Amino acid sequence: MLHHFTYLAPRTRAELHSVLADNGAAASLLAGGTDLLVNIRAGLTRPKVVVDAKKIEGFGGLVWSESEGLVIRAGVTINALLGDAKIRSDYPLLIACGHDLASHQIRNRATVVGNVVNASPCADMAPALLCLRAHAVISSKRGERDVPFSAFFKGVKRTVVAPDELVERIVVPAASAGARGGYYKLKRINGHDLGIVGVALCIDRNGEMRVTIGSCAPTPVLVEGLDPSLPADAVVAAVTRAISPISDVRATKEYRQHMVEHYVRRLLDEVRS
Amino acid sequence: MKIRVTINGALCEREAPETINLLHFLREYVGLTGTKEGCGGGECGACTVLLDGHPVNSCLVLAAEVDGKSVRTIEGEARDGKPSELQQAFAKRHAVQCGFCTPGMVMSARALIDCNPKPSVEEIKEGLEGNFCRCTGYVQIIEAVLEATGQPTSTQERSHA
Repeated sequence: MLHHFTYLAPRTRAELHSVLADNGAAASLLAGGTDLLVNIRAGLTRPKVVVDAKKIEGFGGLVWSESEGLVIRAGVTINALLGDAKIRSDYPLLIACGHDLASHQIRNRATVVGNVVNASPCADMAPALLCLRAHAVISSKRGERDVPFSAFFKGVKRTVVAPDELVERIVVPAASAGARGGYYKLKRINGHDLGIVGVALCIDRNGEMRVTIGSCAPTPVLVEGLDPSLPADAVVAAVTRAISPISDVRATKEYRQHMVEHYVRRLLDEVRS
Repeated sequence: MKIRVTINGALCEREAPETINLLHFLREYVGLTGTKEGCGGGECGACTVLLDGHPVNSCLVLAAEVDGKSVRTIEGEARDGKPSELQQAFAKRHAVQCGFCTPGMVMSARALIDCNPKPSVEEIKEGLEGNFCRCTGYVQIIEAVLEATGQPTSTQERSHA
């Protein structure tokens, strides 16, 4: 049995905003629960109120439009993303990152939004969303605001989202459709595991190259504005300057640096061939 | 709070605390102890059940969340006391040693073959990646799924998954 908390399942967005405004940091939002329930069980978080948002109409769903791009609502699970034909054809980097996230069981519950709001430096969806210039739409009783993912992460497990706010949806711009690239994640085992290093690289239709590195700084790191014709050494140098890996229980700083370089070179070879 | 769930096809209604997870709800409030608690943190997959047809870790789902939904557990496999073909294949292929991971393995395999009746070895490995076995070894488990889906097993490489 977990510690005592009140379970609420609001039916409307207005009700949800009020619960968050009234309870602030004492409330935890529940979507997939694959991080929240682990943290509650471990005693890392002890919310007074657990707010299940899944009963709100329009909480889930993927919507595509030429004007706005791809909209990933808060309730969209990783497996829902992976099964979407439009995403498979136009946003392969989202597929590559989602596919490497945890296990099949977890992907059936875990949400794309949950993965980024938990703000782990190794969050698998962050590299794709940063590379594809996505932004978060954050809402509260006070209104809505847009935050690009390049300004979203504030530190280990910290974001710009205030206690009375939630990430309503993620928008991946239409201009990022068709971006070519890939994702490599170093793990201790072949099965599901946290990333020791994650590297995503893409070249968009306008010919801009971007690289995102996970697990090598307090937040995922985006390196943008790269010319796709740059020599590999120059790309590696730009990426190496941007990261600040540390040694910890899973890997040394040197190993992380080495594998980032290795993956950058491999991704460059693949995207240029 | 009152929780109403369809479990293995039968509607089940119980009064349970709102802080209880689906795993403990099944074991302690419904009396279905086939679903096992391994790690309790979404790592090992021993507690895998199907929620509206999709495999989930029941330790990471609150019972309150599944109110009105449909759950399938290992107890739903056998029909009239006769083990399912999948269960028989696990027995025949010696895919069970201590048996603790087996209910979760079978439920993940069930979800896989329900949507992919002839999975390849790679697809089986991926479908079962969220289920840890610490004693039998994975080769026999993969062979059991091949056997249950009418596929040859003798040519399988004896390598660790």
